Amino acid sequence: MKTNRPGISLLGILLVMATAISQAQVTYERLLGADNEPKNWLTYSGRYSGWRYSTLNQIDTSNASRLAMQWAFQVSDLGQFETTPLVVDGVLYGTGQNDRAFAIEARTGRAIWRYQRNLPEKLQPCCGMVNRGFAMLGERLFMATLDAHVIALDAKTGNLLWDVTAADYHKAYTFTVAPLAVKNEVIVGVSGGEYGVRGFIDAYDAATGRRLWRFDTVPAPGEAGHETWSGDSWKTGGAPAWITGAYDPELNLIYWPTGNPSPSNYGGERDGDNLYSNSMLALDADTGKLKWYYQFTPHDLYDYDATQVPVLVDAQWDGRARKLLIQANRNGFFYVLDRTDGKFLLAKSFGTVTWANGIDKDGKPIVNSSLQASPEGTRVCPGALGMTNWYSPSYNPETGLLYVATSTECDIFTSAPQRYRAGHDFLGSVYVPDPVARPTGALKALDALTGAEKWSFPYFSNPNGGALSTAGGVVFGGDSDGNFIALDAKTGRHLWHEQLGAAVYSAAITFEVEGKQYVVIPSGSTLFAFALP
Amino acid sequence: MIVAALLPAAIIPASAQKKNAAPDSTKATATTIKEGASLFRGNCSPCHGLSAHGGGRGPDLTSGRWTHGSTDAAIFRTISQGVPGTDMPANGFEDSEIWAIIAYLRSLTPPKQPAIVGDSAKGKKLFEIVGCSSCHMVNGSGGRLGPDLSRVAAARSAAYMIESIREPDKELSNAMLDPNNHYSVPLSYGTVTVVMPDGEKISGVALNEDTFTIQMMTAEQSLRFFQKKDVKDVIHEHKSLMPAYSESALSAAQMQDLVAYLETLRGSVNGEAKEGR
Repeated sequence: MKTNRPGISLLGILLVMATAISQAQVTYERLLGADNEPKNWLTYSGRYSGWRYSTLNQIDTSNASRLAMQWAFQVSDLGQFETTPLVVDGVLYGTGQNDRAFAIEARTGRAIWRYQRNLPEKLQPCCGMVNRGFAMLGERLFMATLDAHVIALDAKTGNLLWDVTAADYHKAYTFTVAPLAVKNEVIVGVSGGEYGVRGFIDAYDAATGRRLWRFDTVPAPGEAGHETWSGDSWKTGGAPAWITGAYDPELNLIYWPTGNPSPSNYGGERDGDNLYSNSMLALDADTGKLKWYYQFTPHDLYDYDATQVPVLVDAQWDGRARKLLIQANRNGFFYVLDRTDGKFLLAKSFGTVTWANGIDKDGKPIVNSSLQASPEGTRVCPGALGMTNWYSPSYNPETGLLYVATSTECDIFTSAPQRYRAGHDFLGSVYVPDPVARPTGALKALDALTGAEKWSFPYFSNPNGGALSTAGGVVFGGDSDGNFIALDAKTGRHLWHEQLGAAVYSAAITFEVEGKQYVVIPSGSTLFAFALP
Repeated sequence: MIVAALLPAAIIPASAQKKNAAPDSTKATATTIKEGASLFRGNCSPCHGLSAHGGGRGPDLTSGRWTHGSTDAAIFRTISQGVPGTDMPANGFEDSEIWAIIAYLRSLTPPKQPAIVGDSAKGKKLFEIVGCSSCHMVNGSGGRLGPDLSRVAAARSAAYMIESIREPDKELSNAMLDPNNHYSVPLSYGTVTVVMPDGEKISGVALNEDTFTIQMMTAEQSLRFFQKKDVKDVIHEHKSLMPAYSESALSAAQMQDLVAYLETLRGSVNGEAKEGR
């Protein structure tokens, strides 16, 4: 730190005040220009386009082998640590298991405040008491909680500013998602697809918590798409929306993916395509009105949520500049859509797929209808956890590659009929991993426009952690056996790894403080920060 | 840790007492039994088998033998709180759901599996003679390569044990399951062979393994640790190191004796290894 002491002038004081104000505020303009301030990590995927890519390049392929731990921060709670922290002007804001939250000095890992929500005893998250992070706007942090509330915390103190109920947790509505802040809105999507909820995406006023709009992901009678549900099945139709979407400010569209229909693995009582389950939705950011949709897996029987972060890429396609949306989907296919109108452009499998024999020219799957859950069990690839899952991919504009953590798991689906009971699991079949072929994983690099595999780095186990790539030519991944790994983004060559002691359930972020680039990854109940020595 | 371990025990008497006032499972309605069957299939069958006849991780629940107590209240406790030190986890069912599962289990008739009529004393000798004890430990003595069998009968059906002896490759036993990895698949007792740069092959089972390392128990029962970058290859085979005991190696009568002995190995609820019942 510099120690010179200039004479204090009024101008100087004003400048300091102006800086302090701007630093404490994450304005919508800052979110729009997030790619211009790589020192910070302002939103779930780093920027609205969903890239999880940073232009920081201090850590590169020549020096990543020297990465060393700088600090560790203990949340001190068990369960999967799925947060993506935000970093704003030297402060890191994260959420933890059981709806804990914290702010820490990003340079030292020392806590500034801690928060824990007082949760009711009986909650029904399908897959752990997890939370994936905050959104920030102004001086406020927004969190969607396991008891289906949306809350705002003061960024400097962690004090609760407002708290609104979005849905009834007694009926297994929960939130695990990191919200997305757009303009004055805080956007969230609900979890509960394993419990027969009726999914929705909500926007709340960041200032007051008032709900501005709701998009029900299962259409009610009289609404378009309702005809894709037989009988009353729409009432418990699922289609949750539990991963953070992307945003295109030019089109003013929010891209938000949805999850499985309920019951997730039995379709006998929900005939039809079951819109808008397993879809990409393009919603008007101001009104929540549906502009277009594309359904990846109609009438799903295998739990193929489309809840993977959509990645927005502008590229030449068939000789003209086009706004694209790409997604490596849990159902085993990589997709390219036109994000202005949802037009299907391409699909290509990125591993072994048996539930469909391909995707036709109109974007409809050619379903292998012989593979249904049966009393004796039916083997289907990918398994219910998918070829990939919610863990973030990363898009690197320099390599033109999409980095995706993938699994080889195939499952045996056995029918297990169930009736709906509010607040109870609603699956319709039971699945177990194929006992013969132990599932493994990989971090794969796919050509972002063709889906062709450029390289694959093998993981010993099926993954739970995603990817981060940087302008230093490095891609970071985390495996389920506790390794945090740096690879050469062009070739997949191993550069470095560190054993953290527990499975990685998130993807890394990067930021800079006082001229030093940090990479942060959660593992176990600890947040680890690495940098060059 | 200590608090966590003590608390449930402190709670048990009160809750067990309350459960005793619950409905008699033998008088359950057909609807309740059907409900229990559905819950069982969805939640319990991956370990206990689709028809509750036992699987690779859980015992036969139709045999009428209940290691952790046979009363409704005891089974209720086993389901709700799990069995520490075993694969049986605590479960978050509502009380009515547990009663439905118990009613379903009570409604099942014992399977027509081979009746075990052998002589357990002879079986105990066979366990030494045919080589089981060279790889399996029972109550503190024996080998280390295969699973400890001190409470094998509390966790496996006789039919499963016979299959494991005749065809050990058919379903490999589970080894380490990482408690930090909630979606992981346990390692198995499959054969792993590490090929050294000079071509030397070291076979055994993996005690743990990840993308970069492997921790092994070799066939010679020594611990060996390798970094994968230092070896030429690591080969996994869905094949047990245990020999398949065909009828020529172990006659049907000898199998009866051996399994009769294994059937006596039930450990005890509080982890105190104990032979017999």
